[in-house]
Order: sequence, then C-alpha cells, then structure tokens
Amino acid sequence: MTLGAVVMLAPIVWMISTALKPESAVLSAVPHWIPKPATAENFVQLFTQAQDFPVFRWLLNSLFVSSSVTALVLLVASSAAYAFARMEFRGRELLFMAVVATMIIPSQITLIPVFLIVQKLGWFNSYFGLIVPGLAGGFGVFLLRQFFLSIPVELEEAAYMDGAGPLSIYWRVILPLGKPALAALAIFTFIGSWNDFAWPLIITNDIAMRTLPIGIMIFQGRYTTEFGVTMAAAAVCTVPVILAFLAFQKRITEGIAMTGLKG
Amino acid sequence: MRSWNPNRHARFFLLPYFALFLLFVVAPMVYGFVISLHKWYILAPHPTFIGFANYSAVLKDDLFRTAFWRTGYFVIMVVPLGNALSLLLAVGLNQNYRGATFYKVAYYLPVLTSVSVTAILWRWLYSTQFGLLNYYLGRVGGWSVNWLTSTSTAMPSIALLSIWWGAGGNMLIYLAGLKNVPRELLEAAEIDGASPLQRFRAVTWPLLKPTTLFCLVMSVIASSQVFGQTYILTGGGPYYSTLTVILYMYQQGFGLYQMGYASAVGYVLFAAVLVFTVLQFKLLAFRR
Repeated sequence: MTLGAVVMLAPIVWMISTALKPESAVLSAVPHWIPKPATAENFVQLFTQAQDFPVFRWLLNSLFVSSSVTALVLLVASSAAYAFARMEFRGRELLFMAVVATMIIPSQITLIPVFLIVQKLGWFNSYFGLIVPGLAGGFGVFLLRQFFLSIPVELEEAAYMDGAGPLSIYWRVILPLGKPALAALAIFTFIGSWNDFAWPLIITNDIAMRTLPIGIMIFQGRYTTEFGVTMAAAAVCTVPVILAFLAFQKRITEGIAMTGLKG
Repeated sequence: MRSWNPNRHARFFLLPYFALFLLFVVAPMVYGFVISLHKWYILAPHPTFIGFANYSAVLKDDLFRTAFWRTGYFVIMVVPLGNALSLLLAVGLNQNYRGATFYKVAYYLPVLTSVSVTAILWRWLYSTQFGLLNYYLGRVGGWSVNWLTSTSTAMPSIALLSIWWGAGGNMLIYLAGLKNVPRELLEAAEIDGASPLQRFRAVTWPLLKPTTLFCLVMSVIASSQVFGQTYILTGGGPYYSTLTVILYMYQQGFGLYQMGYASAVGYVLFAAVLVFTVLQFKLLAFRR
C-alpha cells in the first residue's frame, strides 16, 4: 500500500518540485526531489507573459466557466430531479430511462453536431458556448432523483398542509434536505468542468477565451524544453482542484457510494 | 397526496432541463447521423447528400483502419490492467486500518488532474535525456527507453500514463462494491479455514461481479474515446502508431473541415463500442 501510494503520488510531487526549481537546476543529471533553493521565479515568469499567454485571464475564464456550470447544473438538475422523484405525470418512467440511457453515450461522438449547433446559435468563442452545452448531462438528474427519493415525504406533507405550493416546497424543503447530494454533485461538476479538454478546445480559438487546460497546453507547446515553467503552469491548473477536493473529500466518496457511479 | 395539477407543475420543473437535453443531447445524435450522410465541407455553401458513401469510404480508409486497431490495442492494455490495479487498491484499502483515508486520497489525486496536466507532466517524466523514468531505469539496469518517440513504445507509454490517470476512479467504485460484501460471510469462511486468497475467490469475487461488469463496460467506453493524451503528446505519431479514432475524427473534422466524413468516423466507432458492450453483457452475463 505504501509503495503504491509512493508510485501514484511521485509524478505529482515531481511536478511541484520541478516547478519550484530555477531553470538551471531542472535539467540536472541527478534528480533532486527537494528543490534547494526553492524559487517562485517560474510562477512569476508564467504570469508575466500576458501578451502571448494571458495565464491570469485563462485562470479567470476557468473559474467563471466552472462556477457557472456548477451553479446552473445544481439548479436545472435539481428541479428536474424533484419532478421525477415527487410528481406523477405521463411518460415519467420512459423519460427518466431516456436520461439515464444517454449517460452511456460517449460525449466525444456528438462533438461535431454539438459544435455545429452551438456555432449556429452564434456562441462560438463565447462563454455561452463554453457553459451551456455542459448543463445537459444526465448524471446530476440521476444522482439527485435517487437521493430525493430517500427523503421522507412527511416533511413535505406538513409544508403542504401549511399551504406551501410546489415551488416553495422545492426551495424550502427539498433543496435544504438534499444538501449532501447537492454538495457531491457540485464538486463533481466543478472538477469535471475545470478539467474539460475536448469541448473548450474546439469551441474557442481566441487566445483570450481559452480555459486553463487548453491554455497550458498551448503554453507548453512554446516552451517544450523549459520544464520548470511548464510544470508551474501544470501546478496552477491542478492545485485549486486538489484543494477543493481535500475540502470536500468525504462528500465525494459518499457521493460515489450513493450511486455506485462515475469516477 | 397532491391536489395541485401535477402535470402542469411537473412541466414547469422539467422544462429547463429538457430544453437543454433536447438541444444538446438528443438533437445532436440525430443531427450527427444526418451530417454523416452528407458531403459536409464546412466552407462550401451547401452540404450534398451522398447516402452512405462516407461510411463505405471510412471502412475502406487505411488510416481509419490503423486508428481503429491502434485504439483497440490501447483499450486492451488499459482496461484489464487498469481494472486489476483499481481492484487491487480497493481490496487493500478495504481492510480499515489507520491511514486508509490518506491512501485513498493519494490514489485518487491523479484523477483530479486535467488530461493536459497529465500529458504535460508525463512528457517531462518520459523525457529521454532528463526524464525521471529513464534516470531510474538507467540506475537499475543501464536501460534507456524512447518512450514516446518509438513506434513500439509510444502506445504502451500512452497506456501507462492513462492507467495512472484513471485507476483511482474505478478504485472508489470497487471500494463501494466491496462495502456490500457482508463481513459475516468472510468471517464464516475464515473460521472454516479459508486463506485470504480463497476467501477472495469464493466470497468477494462472485459478490463483486456486478461492480466489475459496470467498471469494465464504463472503462471500455471511456478508453475507446482516448483523445487528449494522443492529441497533446504525439499528435498520432510516430508513424501513426498512436493515431486513435477520436483523434482521427478531430483531424478530419477540425483540421480538414470534412464534417460529414468525421461524423461517419464517430458513428462507426459508436457502433463498434455498442457491439462490444453488448458482447460484454452477454459473455459476463450475471444478473445478480
């Protein structure tokens, strides 16, 4: 187990170690795991190339896109999941089956038609193009419906007796009680959106509209042999996600146990 | 319990999601097929309907065939090895000893990185002259491997980093599956004198089968879509040895703007994966 953990962690440790070394120490014949002296010069260089590589802008783009996708997925998926879990309507089972079935269809295969649709909407190179197609996935609806079904109906009945309508029951009863599942969905969605590669690659071509994963790929294409600064770029793209993960670590493992899905 | 008009309210709650679902999930599936029946050069004024001509061209295309078999080679390396590793890690973690959370997080961290981070990081590890891997291989046996630059090692190298990248995801799913194996059963087997290996084979493995099937199916679907790794690290080279189907689709669609042809490539892959998935269910058929 310990050996396994060392092997799995070593690349990430090496990334951070390399990022903290002066360029002259990076290509040494014998690798040093602890950078001495440690330096921030790679990060400074990374953020001061704004003309060609607006890294700070990419960071903001990624933060904005991932936060928007997360907030909107929570809203849209939870309201659909509420209807599936609590309301009776014609075709409910069939519709839900359709949502679940499409989760298995690989997203890369519809890359071209989605691209052409989004382009027709005039959303090429825009935040709309980066955000909106990411809201249509079935995972959130599936996860939340399963969780809402496990919430006892008595509380809703009490609220209903007090004269609450469906909207206020959704907002005041279901959403607060659904917090554990919503938190798990939020962190999955945020990480998935933050790390997304193929979609932002094709839907943007303006350097200022790129997200971090695309940006750092373009960046390393120019600095193929300067591993210090490319590892700094990789670290900037990774550390926020690792921090978010550590903060929500328990929720994530619970979320996976909840559904037995997604990894 | 409801006396509001449930149909009307359901519509209100369902509408936002289903508008998105129709536009970005259902419509593209149909539209993509329509595109694949056309000569759809994006800069030309009108697409021309050509029936299944794209499909017959794809099936005869030597580069597509190369991409198809190279993708199969990748899947055959990544799925069994990756799942074996995930299962091994999960069984190890399921013992509930101190520090299990730390190990769980450690194994899961690679899953949190973007494919571009993984690719950039492994390009550095694979560096022939200064890479960490060749340094330690040199220390151990004087070896030096041309990881990404030789036709025989490039695809296995892509597979290796992909296994590292993804093992933690399936590990968590296997771990959730292992929690459903009743401890009493394992204890009973232990009392009867079964060794740990026997207990795994006779008790854990059969009960874990649905989880295993799920992980295998999802891994095949995911790994047959491999794109970012080969796009960033090799561009399909050297000599097409890492050309994968989605990469080829991307090159046709967004490099040469042949949207019809690229769509047909995507649908052929989809059909192949679908057939393979059904086969997996048939071969490993265990309904509980």
